[in-house]
Amino acid sequence: MGKYVLKRIGLAFVTCFIVLSLTFILVKLLPFERPIGGDPQQIAYYDRQYNLGYVYRFDRNMDDVYGPYLYRSPENKGRSNYYYMVPVMEQYVRWLGNIVLHWDWGSSKSIQPNVNASVIIMNRLPYSIKINFFSVIFSVPLGILLGIWAALKKNTMTDHTISTMVMVFISVPSFVLITFMIHIFAYRLGWLPSSWPADTSPTKQKVLGFIIPVFCLSFGSVCGYCRFVRAELCEVLESEYLLLARTKGLTRRQAIVRHALKNAMVPIFPAVLMEVIGLLTGATILETLYNIPGIGRLFLLAINYKDYDILFVDMAIFDTIGLLAGVLSDMAYGFIDPRIRMGAKK
Amino acid sequence: MKKTSKLLAILLVVAMVFSACGPQPAETTPAPTQPATQAPETKAPETTPAATQPDTTQPPATEPQPVETTAPAPEIPWDGAYMDKDDFQAYITHDLNLMVESIEDQLDDAAYTAVKAAEKAGEEAIAAGNTVAEVKSAYADAVAAVINAVPAADGLFSYKKESNAERTNILGILERFAIATGITGVSLFENGGYVMYNPRITLGTENYIVGYGFGLLAEGSITADLAFETNPDWARYYHTYEVSDPKTLLYHDDQGSQVGDLFTYMGASFYTNFMNETKDGYDWVPELAKEKPVAVNDEDGDGMATTWKFEVRTGDDGLKYTTGSQIESRAAFNDRPVALEDYETIFKLLLTASNKLYRGSELAAMKSGAIAGTKEYYAASENGFNADAWANVGIKTFVEDGKNYFQVTFAQEQTQFYCMYYIASSLYMPIPQEFIDLVGKNAEGKPMLFSFNSDATETPVDNSLILGPYYVSRYDADQQIIYTKNPNYVFADTKYAIEGLHVKIYTAAASDTNAGFNEFLAEHFDSAGIPQEHLNEYRNDPRTRSTTGTSNFKLNANACDQETWEYLFGVDGVVAQNAVEDYWDLKPAMGNHHFVQGVSYSIDRLTFASARGSIPSVDYLASNYMSDPENGLSYSVTEAHKNAVAQLLDDTDGYGYSLELARDYFRLALTELEAEGKYQPGTKENPTKIEIEFAWMYPTHEENYHNEIKNFIETAFNDDSVCGGVYQLECVFWVGNEWSDVYYNKMMVGQFDFGFGSITGNSLDPIGFVSVLSSDQDISGSFTLNWGVDTNSTDVYPIVYDGMKWSFDALYNAVNGTAIASKGQNKAAVSFVYHEMEKQEDGSYVGSFDVEVALPDLTELTIDDIACCDYERYYNGDKQYEETYLGDFEGAIEVTEVEKGIYKVTFTVPAELAAAYVDGNGTSAEPEGYTGFDLYYSYTLDGAENNGLYYSVNDYFVVE
Repeated sequence: MGKYVLKRIGLAFVTCFIVLSLTFILVKLLPFERPIGGDPQQIAYYDRQYNLGYVYRFDRNMDDVYGPYLYRSPENKGRSNYYYMVPVMEQYVRWLGNIVLHWDWGSSKSIQPNVNASVIIMNRLPYSIKINFFSVIFSVPLGILLGIWAALKKNTMTDHTISTMVMVFISVPSFVLITFMIHIFAYRLGWLPSSWPADTSPTKQKVLGFIIPVFCLSFGSVCGYCRFVRAELCEVLESEYLLLARTKGLTRRQAIVRHALKNAMVPIFPAVLMEVIGLLTGATILETLYNIPGIGRLFLLAINYKDYDILFVDMAIFDTIGLLAGVLSDMAYGFIDPRIRMGAKK
Repeated sequence: MKKTSKLLAILLVVAMVFSACGPQPAETTPAPTQPATQAPETKAPETTPAATQPDTTQPPATEPQPVETTAPAPEIPWDGAYMDKDDFQAYITHDLNLMVESIEDQLDDAAYTAVKAAEKAGEEAIAAGNTVAEVKSAYADAVAAVINAVPAADGLFSYKKESNAERTNILGILERFAIATGITGVSLFENGGYVMYNPRITLGTENYIVGYGFGLLAEGSITADLAFETNPDWARYYHTYEVSDPKTLLYHDDQGSQVGDLFTYMGASFYTNFMNETKDGYDWVPELAKEKPVAVNDEDGDGMATTWKFEVRTGDDGLKYTTGSQIESRAAFNDRPVALEDYETIFKLLLTASNKLYRGSELAAMKSGAIAGTKEYYAASENGFNADAWANVGIKTFVEDGKNYFQVTFAQEQTQFYCMYYIASSLYMPIPQEFIDLVGKNAEGKPMLFSFNSDATETPVDNSLILGPYYVSRYDADQQIIYTKNPNYVFADTKYAIEGLHVKIYTAAASDTNAGFNEFLAEHFDSAGIPQEHLNEYRNDPRTRSTTGTSNFKLNANACDQETWEYLFGVDGVVAQNAVEDYWDLKPAMGNHHFVQGVSYSIDRLTFASARGSIPSVDYLASNYMSDPENGLSYSVTEAHKNAVAQLLDDTDGYGYSLELARDYFRLALTELEAEGKYQPGTKENPTKIEIEFAWMYPTHEENYHNEIKNFIETAFNDDSVCGGVYQLECVFWVGNEWSDVYYNKMMVGQFDFGFGSITGNSLDPIGFVSVLSSDQDISGSFTLNWGVDTNSTDVYPIVYDGMKWSFDALYNAVNGTAIASKGQNKAAVSFVYHEMEKQEDGSYVGSFDVEVALPDLTELTIDDIACCDYERYYNGDKQYEETYLGDFEGAIEVTEVEKGIYKVTFTVPAELAAAYVDGNGTSAEPEGYTGFDLYYSYTLDGAENNGLYYSVNDYFVVE
């Protein structure tokens, strides 16, 4: 088991490495939008790229050697600097070298100029983690309970109501829901903050600040869990071993709690872990609309501002969380169902 | 004009017959099949022979050259495709009359007579024209004749000391030229409008003061807590928001307005403005200064001087710094007394080029209000502070009779008021060198003052040291910025009663125009502009106040022809350089002034601006630009402005909108463009598409602005009455990644058709601000947004002042300082031609400069020295570069006067120096012999000294 876990963690890192490598290479291969003019910020940016080893810099036109220049900056005394792209794989090696040897993920180009990309991410990560953590805490039990209730009341009015509500609400995007909730609960009723309270706000305000984003983020998950649990439980409830358990004298409650639920949880629990990464990605728009200074909003900003160093670190965080969730999910099978022995010799 | 359509149809049928029988142009495109009633059935012949072009090389003459009317031409059918002959001639004659009207009140009797004669002859020639080309040719000849009838300004001129009223007249003349030639673009609206304030705010005044505002912070107060605010310390802070995190508060390195606005809260300056006692204007008050400036060298007693001094506050007067930092090393600067040398330190920080501060480069490149020696010092400080060069900068501090003085020397004479004005910026708030050193520099070599450090452990709170009314006490990235009242502020006891500011970073408002307003209605913010959809509901709300604007937003136009564009923006463009594959696809329609006029007339500004809570305007300058800044007289209410702008307003709704005129001007433009062969008509089913790109700042502008503007223009142009549908105009939306892309990647580099934007300048110096209309980048400071006209030409459109004709650039320089005019055009006092070096047998190199003085009788020229630069080392070596002064070598510089005012400067680079420079003093791996020369010179023009100037060239040593 230990070896298996280590192997899975190792594989997760390999996968993460491949994903990041592909991200870097593909982003660098994007068609180049040639900037023009002598904007000092532009010149500073290209000088920084030169210092990082991502571009060549010459004081004369070298188009015949390096292809069309990326940027030409007017410099003093009538001379210009010409910047050319270093081959992508060479840039990639330098990028890796900076990370492995110096843990230097680069610095922000425009979001927070000059500040290390990893520092920017780390400052914002706690906000996203908090939102997602509470969302999971809220959505998992509620979704499972609703699913169980619907399964136990299968083909009754309760089941139909729950299923219909699930179908309707799973179709409502979170950004529609949050706009609606802000309007009603913040502006109309004044019960909740209309945007994420600042760090300096009192605890009560901060707690209230979780309600709208957590609820909006959980809404889809609750519906998803509910549907999933209902389907799994309905299948288990109709299985023969459960009938056998009842014939052996177990009450319906005992049969469900001891056998049905436990078996239904085998596919459900790993799915919960996998949901975490889904929540993180789902939070990008929501963080923007509710003014949450998390990594989701940062991800969108990084794309808009072409702040690629931030984008790469953000991607690394998403990948790492997603892959570790996958590892935990696989490991969870073994704990939930002792029959599953991962990595065991045949 | 529509009544002539039947006649037009008959003429067209005749024209078809003629065109079918007559000679065909060399390259023909089959005429599209059109219904008989469609106007553009006949393709206009491409007849613009050189002989019909205006002769721009004619020598100036005081007598008008009669326009040749010759014998009556044989009956030729009118070839105008979309406008009948009478209408076309009427519009062209109107252009001519408008032009003459714009200059006639500045002419003396002789010139007036000559101009009127030229006008009359022009009218007759236009009326006699039988084709579009003939009419246009007659117009061009008439323009040339009118221009030639006016004597040109020649010599040295200055109108800087004229009265405000006279300078306003000159501004009106410049504005009228700018409008007539289209370099003002198409104005849309002034950014004033409606703002709502929370009732807990008491404003300094209920009536908006142009150029000052409501006095919210300085004179206002807050009378109740904000219920929403949970921090009791901030309950009486003014709550506002920004749509994005500014990332830094270092105004000294910012190009936009956001950081500048946020810096203003904590900035202090030599002079500031406070509301006057009657609350209808404002006064200039010394803030860091203790008195108004005193002239040092007002020798002629006219109140103008280049050098001014004034006593400043220091620690001796109790002036102390404040920081909100809790870090021990930073907090140690709290309550530190201000030292006199700190006033100089901030200028050194800004102007030292190695600090790479944007506002420093801007200060060094200033035209109006330039401080002496700053340009030269900036050029000489690439490697850090240069004490020798600093000695020539017009900034000094000294103690005299126990008093602390700051002295500033401007490049040109200034009045006391403009001395205050140019020096009154919070950018110049003093700072101790020790604090700059403590904060340090980032990887780019820029100071981290007012910014985050690289690991964000120090925020702008820690890196700020201020003297203004508020200090930044919290900076939570992406959340909020808190300012708290500074107890050390000079006027802390009498002004700025509001305890602080809470600036929320509210990103939701960037994509949702209602978000900020909703927060205001929920009483989370203290003020907000009213979004378009809520205007009717809240326009008359008691919380609403109306404001005038600070800037006029407009569609700036690229009206260049190919040759002009390549000169300005081509591979070796003088303004910006574009690779051949990036050349802009110029639209011929944009180069037609009548087309751009049509666009202007087609926009219903009143509807457009009113729906957005802005002020409709055709003006180039916003209402806050002052004709008489000391008395608060807005330029927009002067007769000079009204006369200038009349050409845009006549026969319109009062805001430059007339659908009928728009369609007429589009007809006029298409008629001309087709006659010139620039467009070929399509068919109604398959029209020729004219795509014009409109570049905007934000994606939201598509819905907020573009769609309606597009609708206005396309509705006017694509109407069947214009060209029968054989052309279709399509207005295409463009937006960049950042708001500033429309400036830096579009308008300032020639990559656009129309670009939305505005440049805001010194509102108290409109006549200096119009520099941005010049095509000369030395004058405009690289802020030109409209292109197509050479503003140093006198041939395009006449500018007449004081009985003489001028180019825009020449008159601009004359009214802002001194102009050397030659044939009406602006000319440099000293001009240079470089002749490349040649290697001599002994290994030395000999090169030369031809130097010409524009006004030899008034100029004394001195060649000071020639610096030989080791660029090989700089570019291919270790990035260091040295200069060697050839004057240090005996006989290396020889100056001979070839004839009066023309000199030959021959220089010799000694063999040993050349040998050392060839390989960059041993640092260059593959030497290419780069070098360059700075010819240092000074001159006295009519008694005014100009020292420390230089002219730079590049050259090569031979690499063997």
